[in-house]
Parts: sequence; structure tokens; C-alpha cells
Amino acid sequence: MIRMFRFAISVCALAATAAGAADVYPNKPIRIVVAYTPAGTTDILARAIGQKLTEAWGQAVIIDNRPGANGNIGTEYASKATADGYTLLMTTAAPHGVNPGLYRKLGFDAVKDFAGISLVATVPNVLVVNPALPVKDVKELIAHLRANPGKINFGSPGYGSTGHMSVELFMSMTGTKMTHVPYKGDAGVLADVMGGQIALSLSNMPAYTPQIKAGRVRALAVSTSKRSPAAPEIPTMAEAGVPGYVTVAWFGLLAPTHTPRDRINKLSAETVRILKMPDVHTRLSDLGAEPVGSTPAEFDAHIKTEIVKWAKVIKDANVELQ
Amino acid sequence: MDFSAIFSNLILGFTVAMSAQNLLYCFIGCLLGTLIGVLPGIGPVATIAMLLPITFNLPPIPALIMLAGIYYGASYGGSTTAILVNLPGESSSVVTCIDGYQMGKQGRAGPALAIAAIGSFFAGTVGTVLIALFGPPLAELAFEFGAAEYFSMMVLGLIAAVVLASGSLVKAIGMIIVGLLGGIVGTDVNSGIARYSFGVSELSDGIGFVSVAMGMFGFGEIISNLGQTAETKHMEVSKVHSLMPTWEDIKMSIGPIIRGTALGTVFGILPGSHTVIASFSSYTLEKKLAKDPSRFGKGAIEGVAGPESANNAAAQTCFIPLLTLGIPTGAVMALMVGAMTIQGIAPGPQVMTQKPDLFWGMIASMWIGNLMLVILNLPLIGMWVQFLKIPYRVLFPSILLFIAIGAYSINNSPFEVYMAALFGFFGYYASKWGCEAAPLILGFVLGPLMEENLRRAMLISRGDPSVFFTRPISLGMLLVAFALLLMVVLPQFQKKREILEVADD
Repeated sequence: MIRMFRFAISVCALAATAAGAADVYPNKPIRIVVAYTPAGTTDILARAIGQKLTEAWGQAVIIDNRPGANGNIGTEYASKATADGYTLLMTTAAPHGVNPGLYRKLGFDAVKDFAGISLVATVPNVLVVNPALPVKDVKELIAHLRANPGKINFGSPGYGSTGHMSVELFMSMTGTKMTHVPYKGDAGVLADVMGGQIALSLSNMPAYTPQIKAGRVRALAVSTSKRSPAAPEIPTMAEAGVPGYVTVAWFGLLAPTHTPRDRINKLSAETVRILKMPDVHTRLSDLGAEPVGSTPAEFDAHIKTEIVKWAKVIKDANVELQ
Repeated sequence: MDFSAIFSNLILGFTVAMSAQNLLYCFIGCLLGTLIGVLPGIGPVATIAMLLPITFNLPPIPALIMLAGIYYGASYGGSTTAILVNLPGESSSVVTCIDGYQMGKQGRAGPALAIAAIGSFFAGTVGTVLIALFGPPLAELAFEFGAAEYFSMMVLGLIAAVVLASGSLVKAIGMIIVGLLGGIVGTDVNSGIARYSFGVSELSDGIGFVSVAMGMFGFGEIISNLGQTAETKHMEVSKVHSLMPTWEDIKMSIGPIIRGTALGTVFGILPGSHTVIASFSSYTLEKKLAKDPSRFGKGAIEGVAGPESANNAAAQTCFIPLLTLGIPTGAVMALMVGAMTIQGIAPGPQVMTQKPDLFWGMIASMWIGNLMLVILNLPLIGMWVQFLKIPYRVLFPSILLFIAIGAYSINNSPFEVYMAALFGFFGYYASKWGCEAAPLILGFVLGPLMEENLRRAMLISRGDPSVFFTRPISLGMLLVAFALLLMVVLPQFQKKREILEVADD
């Protein structure tokens, strides 16, 4: 199998050398910057794509983890890399969605400094409550919140995180009020919703799925426009009574802005092809992620829409800028 | 409790863990763990993170068995360097340095190492049995802990640290406060505003614990050693004459080992990086219980036996929340969650029922791993000693290099290396002024957690501070802390401290 691959690779390489000049992309290792710690969803996605790129092109793909500051450190770092297609960035809805509206000063311009390659995957958010909270669905929750303004606590994995912003959007769309209790990361939120220290949270679904199935938290709605194949019994927010509410965590591949167009197109086509592979599909669904794949133009448009959407939420909710 | 079910579960576990492949990976994990435990500056977090990509190509059970082996193996290895060269290979063996190194200087390194290994093995065995017996019900205990309970527990931890400090009380408090202040640097949890970061984006997540610890204990130690003249300080690797502890040693260690195991078990289940707190608490407890506390800091074997048992017990039991609920209690456990996810296993309560071979196989492998570590380590101590006998001019640059690589690998950035260097200079002057690094590290670790939980408790109680006194677990912790504080203030105790201080000088 591997031998066949190698053979295929060398045939491709030969064909490419014959067709073009010596300057074939890629002819040296490619680096994917990940602005988060190893073993997180972003990191696993980058490694999954990287491994398949290596198999296809015969060039090593190195994952460069540069975590910190809500993804801003690694993103700034990648924005200043040489735009030759050998440094890429696996980004998320934080540096290329929420952060541009949230931080007064960023070391990068999310739109001008980057060129989209492809949207890679999306992860639905899920609205969960502690089972002791006397509400069975979103309508009852809204009624309960209106009867107790500001008295119910919700947790988020951090101030300004997508989990925080998703609840802010929910409150502004339903005219309700809750008190924000920020944590450092998802695990603390999950434990405290289960333990009843806080009543509610709206966060990335994969971490919650086992607890939902075990009945330790009650899922009221998913934040996506369609129901999740991982838990089809949970209604969407629109079905549950908040029409137009859609938030989604997403992950995508970018390059520094002046990267040659042909290289970006080549990377995009390959990424889309990789995301259709059955084993990649399996690995992503194990993470609770749904593979997407898009053209560079579609991804650029997606980022612009996201930035506008979150900036409005931040402004409407009067979230303090950083 | 259904004992026959537990019995058949354990048989299943041992069947899985005893397969040739799983034994091999358990061995590799333990060996690697010991190695990185011995090497200062390379910890289990960095190692497990670096090895995660390798586990892509392994089946889930051997992958997790190996990673777990690295984690608990490191705490074994960490004590070896603590005793032999006064360098804690891991943060959990900081306390072991105090009396372990003194024992080494007195030519009793062998018994110290043996007692550390025996204590660790006993604690590991108890921990494994406890996970099997009480895993599911014990994990529920963690849910009783809200922000108020965590805060009170940390107050207790810090006060225990003040009482523990052997030198000047004022200096210990000073170092804790420096640690607390250092821990405040970074993004404020409640408002998301960066504090004391001076516009440096690397500081917006706070000063990294690893670089502080590496700097204070690694760099600082080396600089202060270099400051001494060659004849007074020839690399003080303690000689290991005989491993056999005397009957007296064993008699003195039984109590501390049992108490340390109990303490470590409790701290391990609670979220947070509690192997350090467990070993500190155990040390404090033993010093309190000792007939002659002045022996502590001068090579008291109880000061090795208790903390070593405590940190190993905690290293085992912190798997309980992970395996039963899928909740990571620290950085390493978070990486384990990542490793499970990579393998397509969603961590959570369903692991025990849906993948019993994985759950019980891991538990059984931990006991086998602990046994391997004892069998491996005691004979291998000779090898580690050889390794540490390398002359200063070779060893020091190598350690500096390892620390620099370790610091760099945290975020793949030179920033952490600069921070480690900065704290190295600070550590050097601190030790010149007779200020201990340990309280600073504890303040540094607990400070941010304390603040986070204090503010969260107040946020949930809408600003009502009585929440700390009305919740029984929280009240209990505060009362113990208060009692400890009283002891320090009491005239009799003060006198005893002063005598100790004079003796210290």
C-alpha cells in the first residue's frame, strides 16, 4: 500500500517536473501554525490534514503550536510569515470571528493579512442546563429567565470566548438576562453545570455529548441550522423557539495574504479532496466535527460575515472591549 | 458493594494489561517517565504533548497505558534527582529535596531512595485498589466542590505552607506574596482585561509556571553553585552506599507512608494540580506529628516517606475524575483527554460501561507499572548515579541546555526561555538572602486559582461573603486553616520556631 503510494507520488512528481520548471510547489516541508495547545480540536484537525497532505505530496507537514492570548499570538505570528505557501494557519472562530470586534488592539488584520484556503470543519454548540433547573425546553427556559431576570448563572470557557458570545446573542435575541460566570476552559464549566454550581452553558457539543447521554445535563437545543447527526433528538434553536439563532464553532485553513494564487488554489483543492476521504470523515466525526471544505473565495466571504456578526453581538451586548 | 463484580472486572483488567503488547508499552512509558523525571526541566506535560502524534498509530489501550506510565513514572524519577542532587526533577518532588538531599549528604541516599520507592509503591497500590473499589462513588465527591470550597481549600494550602517554611516566617510570607503577585499577571478571568502585561502579548496568559519553576530551581541552583569556589562545592552527588534502609528507618516510615497515602488520595481526586499540595501537606503533617520537629530539614526520613507517598497517591487518584467522568484535573489529564479523543473515545462516564477493557485495563496496568518502577528503579539507581556523576563542567551546560529546550518547547517560543533566565537570577539572589523558593512557587500556583475561585464564589453568591462559612466543607477547611494560624501565633510555638531558626543558622 505504502509502496503504491510512493510509486504514485514519484509518478506525480515526475509528471510535474516534466510539465513545469524545477520550481514545483511544494518542494520542501510545509508548516501549519496552530494557535492552540497540542491535542485540542484545532491541533487534531491540523494534524489530520497535514498527514494526508504528506501522503499526497510527499513533503513533511510540521505542526507548529504557538498557543496563547485566545489564539492571537499564533495568528499574529503566522500573519508575518513569508507568503510562499510554506507557512499556513489553522484558524478558528476566535481570531477570525470574535477577536477583531473584541480587542482594541490586535497584532494582525484578520481580513487583510490572510488569504483563505478552505473552511475545514464546523462543530455545533449545544445549550445545556443542570437537570435540576425546572425547564424542559427552550420556551420554558425563556419564561423562567423572564421571571427571574439576572438571577440565573451561565458559565463560559472565558470572557469573550465564543461560548460567552453565543449566550450574549441568545440573551439579546430573547430579551432575557443572566449573570456571566467565566471559567478557564470547558472542563470547569462542564463540571459546574453538572454539579449545579451554575445553571446553564452554551458550548462546543463534543465535550457535552457523553454527559447528555448519561443524563447529567439536559440538552435543550443545538445552535446550528440543522440538527446534529451525533444527537438527532436535540432540536435546533429555531425549532425550539428562537428563529434565526445560529452560532457555530468553525476551523479553517489560511495562508499569509500575498501567497501565490496558484498555490492557494492547489492547497484548497487538495484540502477539499482530503475532507471527502472516509477515514478523515470518521476521525472528524469522532471529534464531533463535521467536515466542510470550500473554495478560497467562499472561505474569505465566510470570515467577513463572521467578523461582522460577532462585532454586532459585542456592540449590542455592551461587552467591554479589551 | 458488589465484590464479585469488582473481582471479575479486575481479572478482565489484568488479562488486558498482561498482554505482551500492553506490557511492552507500559514498560516504555515507565522507563520514559523515569528518564524525564530524572532530567530536570523536562516534565510529563511536555513529553506527553510531544508523544501524542506517535499515539495516532497505536491502538487506544497501549497508547493510553504508555502515556499514563510516563506520568506516574515521572514522579518516581523526580525523587531520584531530588535526593541525589537537590534538584526536583518534577514540581511534586520539591518537598523531597528538603530532607532527602540532607539524608544524601549524610551518606544515607540509599535508604532515602529505597523508602521513597517503597512509599510510592505502597501509595500506588492503594491508589489502584481505590480506583477499582471506589472510583465511581468517589468521583461524585468532586461535585460537592464549588468555588467556595476550592477557595477555602487553597487558603488552607497557603497557610500550611507558611507553617511549613523552616526558615524565617517573615521571609516565607514574603516569598508567598511575591508568588501571589507574580500569579496575578495575565488576563483577568472576569473581565478579560490583561493585567501587568505591559503590552507584551506573551504575558497576557500570565507568567508560565514551568518557566518559573525551571528558573528558580534549575537555573537558580546552577548559578548559586557556580558562585561557590571549587573546593567547597564539588558536585554534591550523594553517594549511594547501600539501598537497605535500617529497621529503624522502616519503623519510622510506616506511619508517614500511610498518612501520606491518605492525604494524596484525597488531594488527587480534587481538580487542580494537587500532587504538589499533597506532598506539602504531608510534610507539614509529619513535621507537626514528629516528637522532635527540629530533625526536619536535616535529613528526617519521615520527610521523604510521607511526601513521596502523597504525591504518588495523588498521581494515581487524579485518574478517577478523568476515567469516571471525563473531567481533567490538570494539564497532564487534559492531554490524556486529548489522547482519548484522538483515539475516538469520548471521555466520560460511559467509558466504564462501553469500554470496560480500556477502563479496567488501564487500572490494572497502573499497578503493574508501579511494580515495574520499583523493580526497574532500585537497581537502575546505580545508573542514574553514574549519569549524575558527570562533572560539573559537562553537567551544568547540559542541564542549562535541557532547561532551555524544555522552556522553549512549552510554547515553541524563546519568550519562556527568557522568563526562566530571569527567574533564575531572582532565584539565585533569593537563596543568597535565605528565602526559600518553595513558598513562592506555591503562592504562584495557588494565587490565580484562589483569585478565580474567590471571585467566582462571590459572583455566584452576588457578593455575599458568608457563603464561605455557610457551606460545611468550606467552613471545615477554613477552621483548620485558622487553627494552623493560631499555632504560629501562639507564644509556645513561636519559641519553638525561634529555636528552630537558631538551629538552622
